[in-house]
Amino acid sequence: MIQRILAITQKEFIQTWRERSTLVILLTLPLLQLILFGYAIHMNVQHIPTVIADQSLDYASRAYLNDMVNSGYFDQVGSVSGEDGVVQEINAGRANAGIIIPPNFSELVQRGDAEVAILVDGSELFTSLSAYNAASIIGQNHAVETIMEQAERAGQSSNPAIASPLTAHIQILYNPDFKDLWFIIPGIVAFLIQTQTIVLTATAVVRERERGTLEQLLVTPIRPMELMIGKIIPFIFIALFNLLTVLAIGVFWFGVPFQGNLWLFCSLAFLYVFSGLGLGLLLSTISQNQRQASQLVMFFSLLSLVLGGFIFPRYTMPPLIRLIGNIFPLTYFVPISRGIISKGIGINMLTGEVISLAAYILIIMVVAARSFRQRLD
Amino acid sequence: MIRFQRLRALILKETTQLVRDPRTLVLILSLPVILLFLFAYAVSLTVYHLPTALVDQSHDPESRKLVDAFHNSGYFDFVTAYDNELQIRNALDAGIVKAGLLIPPGIKDDVQRGKANILVLLDGSDSFSVQSGFNAASLITQKLGFDLVAEKITGPSKSLPLPIITNPRVLYNPDLNDLVFLVPGLVALLVQNIIVSHAAMAVVREREAGTMEQLLITPSRPVEILIAKLVPGSLLAIIEMVIILLLSTFWFKVPFQGSLPLFAALAVLFIISGMALGLLISTVSKTQRMAQQISVVMMVFGVLLTGFIFPRTSMPLWTQVIGNLIPLTYFVRIARGIITKGIGMEFMLPDTLSLVAFALVCLVLSSILFKRRLE
Repeated sequence: MIQRILAITQKEFIQTWRERSTLVILLTLPLLQLILFGYAIHMNVQHIPTVIADQSLDYASRAYLNDMVNSGYFDQVGSVSGEDGVVQEINAGRANAGIIIPPNFSELVQRGDAEVAILVDGSELFTSLSAYNAASIIGQNHAVETIMEQAERAGQSSNPAIASPLTAHIQILYNPDFKDLWFIIPGIVAFLIQTQTIVLTATAVVRERERGTLEQLLVTPIRPMELMIGKIIPFIFIALFNLLTVLAIGVFWFGVPFQGNLWLFCSLAFLYVFSGLGLGLLLSTISQNQRQASQLVMFFSLLSLVLGGFIFPRYTMPPLIRLIGNIFPLTYFVPISRGIISKGIGINMLTGEVISLAAYILIIMVVAARSFRQRLD
Repeated sequence: MIRFQRLRALILKETTQLVRDPRTLVLILSLPVILLFLFAYAVSLTVYHLPTALVDQSHDPESRKLVDAFHNSGYFDFVTAYDNELQIRNALDAGIVKAGLLIPPGIKDDVQRGKANILVLLDGSDSFSVQSGFNAASLITQKLGFDLVAEKITGPSKSLPLPIITNPRVLYNPDLNDLVFLVPGLVALLVQNIIVSHAAMAVVREREAGTMEQLLITPSRPVEILIAKLVPGSLLAIIEMVIILLLSTFWFKVPFQGSLPLFAALAVLFIISGMALGLLISTVSKTQRMAQQISVVMMVFGVLLTGFIFPRTSMPLWTQVIGNLIPLTYFVRIARGIITKGIGMEFMLPDTLSLVAFALVCLVLSSILFKRRLE
């Protein structure tokens, strides 16, 4: 049996080696994608292009705008005269936010009923979230400071408790400086490996079927299960190579600290590789031709990107959607990857995820083998 | 040069091939609809109800006021209570909670003396939770602190209004509705996926099956073969786009602000440029496996680089340039402009011209490469 599996493996190795350009793509693609996404993705958006309509141009408006601009969230890209100008600029896409300060701002502040409007481009998700939150916090902060100053000038500076009596110390665990890359790298490593493993095996069976060579293989003494194992083995090597290079780039190039145990991570990642290969094999056996396989792969990777917890948190999803998320290997590996790389936790806190992943692999392999056998009859 | 009669025959052949494979046809048409539904229900962009652990070491009126303020904000759901900080950290490690609030002993006296300090812990491995939690926690404590100061200045009876009120207003989407953000981009993304992957298989499939040679010994010219391959797929994509738009407008109630004919015209342009990109992939690829690999990459690029989810303004220039190599980048802006903003053609001229140029370059390149491959 081992001999037959090895024969198949050898055949697959030769076939992969012959297709040299595909092999180069397979080996380097995840790496290039990681570098690209590492630079491109920002969830906490700063330096939002902003137009300013300052209708006062006095001391109070300058103080207010200074606070907004110095926060780093709003970059002034132009000045307009009023709200119409702001809307025009946002419509044209030249700015994503606009600050409108009404006339006679200083007087209004003195009387205590000044109102600043901040318009935010609501067609872009992360930009509007960041702008909205930053504007609320900075605006409130500025107002509190102003009232303190007013109190001071009114001669109440003798009051010792003029500073806020209540402060919150907000600590972000595992990522104290709130760096985007530290969020993204552990998740994207998991995502790239999943996509890669599914693509690798998805074409494996259906390709032989389309070319008619599957029949030739089946008249040999090789059993279906042996055929599948033999086909997977070369891909394991490719996937492991991808995993190690991607991880190395994440740690050494992007400087994301690896908090946990490397060996634990590698052994669980090895397990994870099988789950993706298994899912790809299943897709391959249920597809009639490579075009169908291609559509299914596309569907599965896109869906897992959204439901797997890599970008959007899973605990906010409705239960049914969360259940559907369980059909992707990514869902099980994102907590493992984040747990080991970012949190530095050990196997004792990950037992649930590891058992689910193992069960997943077992089920997907059995289902794939069964549907393959059915297809042959 | 291009004979209509030959072209019609070729288009007929492509259509027959497509219709003869009904399972693929059903897959192509139904998968995007399923994706639309799952995305729409799965994605929520502002995170409320963070599972939170509470350690209240004071148990006095002041601490209760704090806990109430956190709870009433809607951002924090207290799911467990512990005795000390270490237990919160363990719960965060294990992923049981995403945030923790610690109120030290004697908070009432500390507030009187003006130096109360509470601790908020957030799970930094999850970006959305951190953003929502951080902002909510700062706003809540700032407000409470301010109220306490105001009480001291004016006495407990009078309340002191803030002298400056900042009103952030979100244009086009005043209620921060998740679907309004998501749907216009999603329509574009789903359609691009179909057309790129469909067209990417077109040429390489015939080559692998060996039927390309048969086509080439007919009088048809290479350009005609390529155009014929575009037509049935484009029709399919148009049908798909209509289905998705109908669903998003009538089922998900995402308002369509702009001009429908303008959108339709630009959507056809987008579909043609996507097809052209797919054809280019197809002529470059040696095998279907390679074509498939490249189209998956295009899909992932489409999600992450085109501005569909992550904003392009905060990307470095070189990744923006790479994003410009995908037609989706231009069409995400167009779709949002027409569907969400309701703006007209005068704002979209650069993106429209870019799409035209993109389609032309891809078509010319792929027919040159196609001819070279033949020799």
